[in-house]
Amino acid sequence: MRSILTRADAVAPALVVAAVALLAAPLGCDKGLPSPITGQHEGDPTPRQGGTLRLASFADLRGGLDPAVDLDGLSLGAIHLMFAGLVDYDEHARIVPDLAEHWDVDDGGRTYRFFLRTGVTMHDGSELAADDVKRSVERALHPSTPDSNATYFTNLAGYEAYAAGKAGHLEGVTVEGRYVIAFHLTKPDATFPYLVALHTLRPTCKSAGDRYSDTWLPCGAGPFKLLDGGWQRGTRLRLVRHEGYFRPGLPHLDAVEWTFNMKALAQRVRFENGELDIARELTQADTSRFAADPRWAELGVVEFDARIYGESMNTRMAPFDNVEIRRAVAAAIDRDHYVLLQPTRMSALYQALPRTIADVDPSFPAQRYDYAAALEHMRKAGYPYDPTTDTGGWPQPIDYLMYDQGIPALSSQLLQQDLAKIGLRLRLKMVSWAAFLALQERPDGAAMSQGNWMMDYPDPSTIFDKLFTTDAIAPDGSSNTAFYSNPRFDDLIAQAHLEMDPSVRRTLYREANAILCDEAPWAFTFGYHLFDVRQPYVHGFVAHPVWPLDVSGVWVDRGDAGWKDALGGGLR
Amino acid sequence: MLDTRARARFTRNRSGVAGTVIVAALVVFALVGPLIASHGPLESDFLHGVASDDMPVGPSALFPFGADRIFRDVFARLAVAGRLSLLIAVSATLIASTIGAVVGIVAGYYEGKRFARIIDVDGILMRCVDVMLAFPFLLLVMAIGAALERTSAVTIFVILGVTGWLSIARVLRAKTMQVRSLEYVVASRALGQPAAWVMLKHVLPNVAGPLVVSATVLVAQMIVADSVLSYLGVGISPPTPTWGRMLFEGQDYLVTSPWLVVAPGLAILLAVWGFNMLGEGLRDALDPHEG
Amino acid sequence: MSWLLRRLGWSLFVVWAVVSIAFAVNTFIPGDPARMVAGVQARPADVARIRTQLGLGDPPLVQYLHFWKRLVHLGPHVIDPAADPAHASCAVVLPLGGTAVHLDFGKSFQKRQPVVDLVATRLPRTFALALAGMLVQLLLGLGTGVFAAARRGSWLDRFLVGSSLLGISAPTFLIALVLQFVFARGLGWLPLDGFGTTLGEHARCLVLPALTLGVYGAAYYTRLVRDERVVVRHGLRNALLPIVTAVGLDFGALMGGAVVTETVFRWPGLGELSVKALLDRDGPVILACVVVTSMAIVAANVVVDALYARLDPRVRSA
Repeated sequence: MRSILTRADAVAPALVVAAVALLAAPLGCDKGLPSPITGQHEGDPTPRQGGTLRLASFADLRGGLDPAVDLDGLSLGAIHLMFAGLVDYDEHARIVPDLAEHWDVDDGGRTYRFFLRTGVTMHDGSELAADDVKRSVERALHPSTPDSNATYFTNLAGYEAYAAGKAGHLEGVTVEGRYVIAFHLTKPDATFPYLVALHTLRPTCKSAGDRYSDTWLPCGAGPFKLLDGGWQRGTRLRLVRHEGYFRPGLPHLDAVEWTFNMKALAQRVRFENGELDIARELTQADTSRFAADPRWAELGVVEFDARIYGESMNTRMAPFDNVEIRRAVAAAIDRDHYVLLQPTRMSALYQALPRTIADVDPSFPAQRYDYAAALEHMRKAGYPYDPTTDTGGWPQPIDYLMYDQGIPALSSQLLQQDLAKIGLRLRLKMVSWAAFLALQERPDGAAMSQGNWMMDYPDPSTIFDKLFTTDAIAPDGSSNTAFYSNPRFDDLIAQAHLEMDPSVRRTLYREANAILCDEAPWAFTFGYHLFDVRQPYVHGFVAHPVWPLDVSGVWVDRGDAGWKDALGGGLR
Repeated sequence: MLDTRARARFTRNRSGVAGTVIVAALVVFALVGPLIASHGPLESDFLHGVASDDMPVGPSALFPFGADRIFRDVFARLAVAGRLSLLIAVSATLIASTIGAVVGIVAGYYEGKRFARIIDVDGILMRCVDVMLAFPFLLLVMAIGAALERTSAVTIFVILGVTGWLSIARVLRAKTMQVRSLEYVVASRALGQPAAWVMLKHVLPNVAGPLVVSATVLVAQMIVADSVLSYLGVGISPPTPTWGRMLFEGQDYLVTSPWLVVAPGLAILLAVWGFNMLGEGLRDALDPHEG
Repeated sequence: MSWLLRRLGWSLFVVWAVVSIAFAVNTFIPGDPARMVAGVQARPADVARIRTQLGLGDPPLVQYLHFWKRLVHLGPHVIDPAADPAHASCAVVLPLGGTAVHLDFGKSFQKRQPVVDLVATRLPRTFALALAGMLVQLLLGLGTGVFAAARRGSWLDRFLVGSSLLGISAPTFLIALVLQFVFARGLGWLPLDGFGTTLGEHARCLVLPALTLGVYGAAYYTRLVRDERVVVRHGLRNALLPIVTAVGLDFGALMGGAVVTETVFRWPGLGELSVKALLDRDGPVILACVVVTSMAIVAANVVVDALYARLDPRVRSA
């Protein structure tokens, strides 16, 4: 075939590129943010009933909507709306009654007795009774349920036998009356109420049966319910008001709708066009612009940090078996630089607990960025480094395990630069998420890796127990990725579980936290929170310390007529 | 290979010349760029690289192509990435050309012939091509990428080379089938010369032209393939820059910091386009009666 | 006819080989699917439970044989998932009186749904995208080629040909980004990404991804058509040959590989499914995608060969 380019075609592609650039440039220039859309009855604080709240998410709903199985952030938000629990967390992360009116603690902390409200209607119209609670608990903790939270409840009497399939029922859960249910623990545990508030034990309707099934239509006692066909997999989820919800006047909304698989840019465009009511996952650039615009600034809602990030150092692998080197690392990282990656969403972290539950004041001996101190620690470690001549430090390159996602993909590159300044040369190993988990959790897997952990419930035990105790070390799948073991620390944690007095517990945890900051199995780097933007007609949206996007108390000041849903169709 | 007449045809062909110029410019940029840049490619500059709104600075004196998301110099990174892309693309092409040439020539030479009435070398080789074509290439490479703990430049170009020889094999097979009917080739075979000798001495020089042309165009495709891989995250670990990775990291910032996308995007376009044009020019010079 | 049978037999072999390789790769790459399902914060005991539930406790060879055994088998011609868990993830493909032929890819680890359902939902979408992309390619490519041929030597000719070169120069995701930027972000005419809920929305969401695929492949057709020498010398029939070949193989390739386009545009087809499954180590889904796409490519090859034989009498005897 003869060549077709015998002519001077060098010019043409250049013209095309130039044309596209010229065309695109004015289009790309930002038109500025549109004005917020005000409500129909601006200034009137009375909640109005009705309306559909439209939300979107980048991710897709993963496995299912069953409270008994592991949930990611997205499904957690939906589960929380569909299933009420015996107790819940309030906006200060304290345990408050929900389905249970009150509860007693007996037997030195070994028995928790919950007194249920009467007349609570579930989604299928039946009344909630203590039998339903027992059935739901046994369903969740049964060995055939793919539940990854079951081992939280090993403290329940009879759990071992039940989990092994030897007992047909859980002996530690007893029905003591139509509305009274008791949990018996093998040893006292101050964290038990926090566990009860988790999604795992939330009561399900009788239709759930006593065994987990993939095909069950979720049915509980929460303010919203799922109708058959309400979940179009991969596209959207629609929850409608449960008319029989036990709190009078709630929920205000007729329905809540999530649209999945929507990228950040698309969310912003749709939000600006009035097709989304709350924008949650905007790009950093967009979030900054909303936060900086005076019309929008007060419509921003800062969610809580529920997650800590840090650099996990394997205390069993050189050079991090040397505590002075770990201290050097903790002092060498400039967290303010990290935070520049997403200033509206990141906050510097210098100790082990997320801001929601961190009980620290300025005098607390947390980690600090101090370059001189870092160099001093390297000297004490026996590997002094001279920055002017670039000599010394640790002689071999150190492998740093990372996976390719979001901020950690970028922050690790900053870490590399910071540690080079104290003579530690990192080699970044980027692997897939699956490989990352496999390697990070083996004692010989990685010397250093990206660590992050989400608070399962708002109590320090959720962080300390799983990340830093000796019990949490396992040859495979160890959540204690630093393989850190300190008898004094373990002691403090064990005592805290048994201690019923909250102020004594706080002191114990403070000391534990101080140990972690000093011995630095992790260099704590930042906490992450989302910055949501709402339209002015959305009221009652308050950030919850535990539940993502808690919209149970939200009301909207707009009708449905004439409004589009997030996919461009008419709102039903 | 390029005798005087071929050279004359080449220089007459403006696209070939344009292609050469572009490729040469790229090579110079890749080699010299890092040396004249104001920063190293891995160096974050928090003093000068951060604009007043905490975003990376745009194209300016100190940062000719702007700063990236962790405030590094895009110009320096682009040049270093260029080195890597060119190295990978050329190496992968060398591997692919070698495999493709061997497979193509052998298949074309033995086309229609069966050893011991059963072994159809051409058939077997072409069936292997079929299997490879049916395989979801991208998935395979991603899986390999997931399997290896660290992907280096060598891994990448070996993978690309080993999966990219198909088009060359097909072209050379067709060409070999034409060449083997040439007089002196027929004569050579009739004289009983060993097949390998005939292929090396007579076939290869005759198909060299199309081979070079295909290989040049293949370099362009390898650059694209490499950028797709690094865009998908199967590539060289950060912080080493590659064009595809720079595009991936910059795409969310398309509106606020467009240089993050324009710089690597244009680099890829220019490189691919340059090699394609060069290939066209070579085709005119070496294979003018194609078709 | 015997040619056709031989060809089909060979095609089945190719599919088998490809799927076996995929199985081997999937088994031996690191990462624990049970871990991916259990989530990061699960304890080892929970992960172990889930691993047994997913059937990952068996040795690889057993899993391999099990996969093929259940892939195609006979079973009841009406399936009740609740009552008959052994056939819970099957789909009936060929009723034969009292029994029927079942197709079973197992259940997705992550989504806990029968994989046949997932594939059945997504296959038409990828098919639609491939078809639309093909259409755009042909229209764009043949159209510009004809234009250029008609006005040979003019500025338009050179411009069109040169810009078609751009099409094959740019990687797909770059074209996708530019198109998104211009049409969705800038002009706002078309949706940025996604799929929509109504037919109208589907069509609108299809435009940009189809355009992306189209621009990318059109250049080849432009060059084909523009070179009138082929048409003049060998006649229209022979000119069709390379086009037919290209269309056939291209379609197969599009079916198999619009992965990048689907990912950038969040088009919920097979490509996007397979990428997510690969990252999540969702074995049943990965294997199902490989089976489907390799069959599509192989089928396209067979069709092209058959057409080739019809159009070119010299080949028919081969």
